[in-house]
Amino acid sequence: MWSDKQSISLSKLFILLFITALVLAVLFAPWLVRRFLDFSRADLQGSEIFFLTTIYTGSLPAGYLLYNLFYLLRRIEADLVFIPGNVELLRRISWSCFAGAGLGLVSAAYYFPWMFVAISAAFMGLIVRVVKNVVAKAVQLQDEVDYTV
Amino acid sequence: MPIIVNLDVMMAKRKISSTQLAEIIGISQANLSILKTGKARAIRFSTLEAICKALDCQPGDILEYRQED
Repeated sequence: MWSDKQSISLSKLFILLFITALVLAVLFAPWLVRRFLDFSRADLQGSEIFFLTTIYTGSLPAGYLLYNLFYLLRRIEADLVFIPGNVELLRRISWSCFAGAGLGLVSAAYYFPWMFVAISAAFMGLIVRVVKNVVAKAVQLQDEVDYTV
Repeated sequence: MPIIVNLDVMMAKRKISSTQLAEIIGISQANLSILKTGKARAIRFSTLEAICKALDCQPGDILEYRQED
C-alpha cells in the first residue's frame, strides 16, 4: 500500500537526482556545450561563452530552488505543513523560477529556444506563487482553528 | 480585540482552579490558558455552555464588550 511517507521519500529522491544532475551539468558544462554546438544545425559557433554564462548563472537559482524544495519536503515529513516558514520557502521557490525565467529571456537574445525555458519557468513560478497564496491562507485558517477553544 | 474574557474573575468568585475547571469542562489546560489570557480567536458554544454550567453563570459574566478608542 502506497503511503504518504513513501510519496515524500520518492519526491526527495527526485530532488536529489535533480541536484546531482545540476552538479554534473555545472561540472561538465564546457563539454556539454561543445557537444551541443557541434551537433546543432544552427550556426552557433562562437557563442560557447554565452551558453556557459547562462548555465553557470542559471545554476544559482536552480540550486537555490532545489535546496528550498528539499527543505520544504523535510518540514512536510515532520508534519509541519501549514506554518509561516513554508510560505516563505514557497515564496523563495517562486522567485527562483522567476529568476530563471528572466535569465532565459535574456539568453533568448543569442539563442531563441531559451525563450521556451523562460516561459516554462515563468509559468511554473506563477503556479508556485498561487500555491504559496493558498498555503498562506491555510496558515491563517489553521491559526484561527488553533486559537478556537 | 474589544471582547474581554473575564474568566479569571469568575473563577476567583467561584474559588475554582484552572486545573479543576479544565477537567470539569473537558478541555486542556493549554486551551484554558489561551482563553484566560485573551489570546483565543473564537470560543465554541459547547465550551461556553460547559463553562457557564461549571461556574453557574451567564455568558455575559465571562465575555464583555469594550469599545476600542
